[in-house]
Amino acid sequence: MVATETQTTQVYQVYIKATPERIWQAITDPEMIAKFFFGTRPDAPLTVVGSRVRSWSPDRSKLWTDNEVLEADPPRRLVHTWRSLYDEDLAGEQESRVTWEIEPQEGGYSKLTLVHDRLEGAPKTAASVSGGWMLIISGLKTLLETGEPLTRFER
Amino acid sequence: MDGDDDRVFKALADPTRRHLLDRLFERDGRTLHELVSELEMTRFGVMKHLRVLEEAGLVVSRRRGRHKLHFLNPVPIRLIHDRWIDKYTEARVAAILELKDELEKEA
Repeated sequence: MVATETQTTQVYQVYIKATPERIWQAITDPEMIAKFFFGTRPDAPLTVVGSRVRSWSPDRSKLWTDNEVLEADPPRRLVHTWRSLYDEDLAGEQESRVTWEIEPQEGGYSKLTLVHDRLEGAPKTAASVSGGWMLIISGLKTLLETGEPLTRFER
Repeated sequence: MDGDDDRVFKALADPTRRHLLDRLFERDGRTLHELVSELEMTRFGVMKHLRVLEEAGLVVSRRRGRHKLHFLNPVPIRLIHDRWIDKYTEARVAAILELKDELEKEA
């Protein structure tokens, strides 16, 4: 998505028919992340505050992200830094921040909100990630509600 | 949830609400005051439309200090795309590719 001004905060929200615990597992466990995050598999769970978690391309040839876990409050809130290392132009930009919030709703649903902010020093990253988050969030919903990853990630 | 698509389609079926989404697309995270000042509409009118957009999940509001900021949430449109557009366009594209193969075979 290309906007006319640099967006310093992006918000994505979706209702998923799953418990907060299942969503928490999906966004922190490397095996689960590999199923909806463009096939990337982090080298550690995103649950240890202060730890750095690196994610690689599916063939492990290229480092995609190297993010520090800032907050981990299961099954409600996960905060980590963000740098897009998959592209040289983006890798040189400043670190930004990603916050995942999970709130239980009625009827077995949970509300998942992803906020990507502190993008002031990363305008190219801001432009690059917006379409990606949309695919990741819709893929996560499909995975948890049907048990199947979106086929587009397998191509 | 059930009826989600209905709410999104209804929210998008109004030109003022589409205009509001376009304003947020240009610059996200705006206050009600900012949105009112850009539209030729009463504060009450803008609030009413924002509420419909929020109920459809197309706008998400978040507090920052004393301000309530409104953000465009593109996910419901993505889900509609996955459900209603991908399915049909994929079949269309496949049919065109088949036709191309057939015609090229004859050539």
